[in-house]
Amino acid sequence: MIFGFLESFNDSALLLYIGVIAIACAGGGIPPMLERRRRRAIENELPTFLEALSDSVGAGRGLQEAMMEQSEANDGPLAALLGETLKEGHASSFEASLGAFAAKTRSSQVQRVMVLIETAIQQDSSLRDILADLSRDYERLNDLMNRRESELQGRGILIILFVSVGLPVLIAFIVGLFAPASKGFQISSFNQTFSYFFAAASAVGVSVSGRMMGRFKDTLWWLPMWMAVSMGLYLGAVKVVGG
Amino acid sequence: MRKLDEKRELLYVIRTMDVLMSSGVGLEAALHTIGKGGYGIISEDFSAMMKRLRKGNSGGLGPELKSQMKIAESAGYKRLLNTLYTNVTQNTDLVETLKKQGTRMEEDRSEEVEKYIEELGGVPETLLSIGMIGPIILAIVGLVPQLMSGDLGAFMSLPEPAVINSVVNIGLVVTLMGMALIGLKAHTKDPGL
Repeated sequence: MIFGFLESFNDSALLLYIGVIAIACAGGGIPPMLERRRRRAIENELPTFLEALSDSVGAGRGLQEAMMEQSEANDGPLAALLGETLKEGHASSFEASLGAFAAKTRSSQVQRVMVLIETAIQQDSSLRDILADLSRDYERLNDLMNRRESELQGRGILIILFVSVGLPVLIAFIVGLFAPASKGFQISSFNQTFSYFFAAASAVGVSVSGRMMGRFKDTLWWLPMWMAVSMGLYLGAVKVVGG
Repeated sequence: MRKLDEKRELLYVIRTMDVLMSSGVGLEAALHTIGKGGYGIISEDFSAMMKRLRKGNSGGLGPELKSQMKIAESAGYKRLLNTLYTNVTQNTDLVETLKKQGTRMEEDRSEEVEKYIEELGGVPETLLSIGMIGPIILAIVGLVPQLMSGDLGAFMSLPEPAVINSVVNIGLVVTLMGMALIGLKAHTKDPGL
């Protein structure tokens, strides 16, 4: 059955090539999604964590002690990762542990914070004020990032669904109803042109949607899949409706 | 691209300079620290500036900052460089100014994000209008030679099928370009979070 289905698309080699590329790329697209979810969870915890550190340091605790306490008192990916890194880093210096923690989070926000904390330690600055300022800065930044994502996500999905799914099916119905191949209409060249157009339009739609949400590179992995979906939907629906 | 990179890194640069200079570090040392890396294009600029200063090819920090202002593209970065230049020439309270500038940058960023969300509100509708109406019309135009063949063809003369195909192809390419140009707004107006 699968071979029979695939053979019905034998005339459109591009669809088959893109289909194979799409399967391969989907494998590459899942890790960035999971990684992003993990990174955003860490980044969203960062302001609360910094605020708690600021309070502890203000109460007279050392930074290392405060970090250890906070990692034990909280749960979540940030606290777990910090606790793990501090325990592993017993044999090395505190600065090295901070560097290792920043690298493990793979978050530019955490890395910037750790660099600033290290600089503040080296320069003997007031850690309490710096941590409180950083907490406020990153809270606002994360609020903005979350807001951008929540407000633009729906619009991004709308673009993809209409351009990659709705439009090919709609045109396929028009073509299949008015010029069915079963009644002798010669539409193979027309179908080829329009299937290429839908692939290109899907690529544009998915890219715009990804850029709107600020994750263009991650979205690129899914580009061949949406191109194949729109081409396949169009050619499949034309065959189903028009014979 | 440079403008976007500058906007993305600027607030972090201001905060780092604030921390460094509040702790008593001098301006040149602070520029050197940022030039060591971690702040994208601004690190590259400061690193190049410090290299020229070390080699002795320039007229000092003041003229270097002034020439950097000409290269800077974003208003915030220009403002920061101007603040640093004023500090070099007039010995102003740089830490206080940096704090104020950081707060202002943050307010600007919030406003820009709000504006970005607002401006992109119309993008899906415009994109879908062009991306859907164009192909629907062109599909009907492309099918006309097939639909008007036979008896119907006797009522009116149609252009050659090759001409119609060319019109459809050009129309589809123009539609794609229109979609891409509308989508470009999402890139060019990015606030750089």
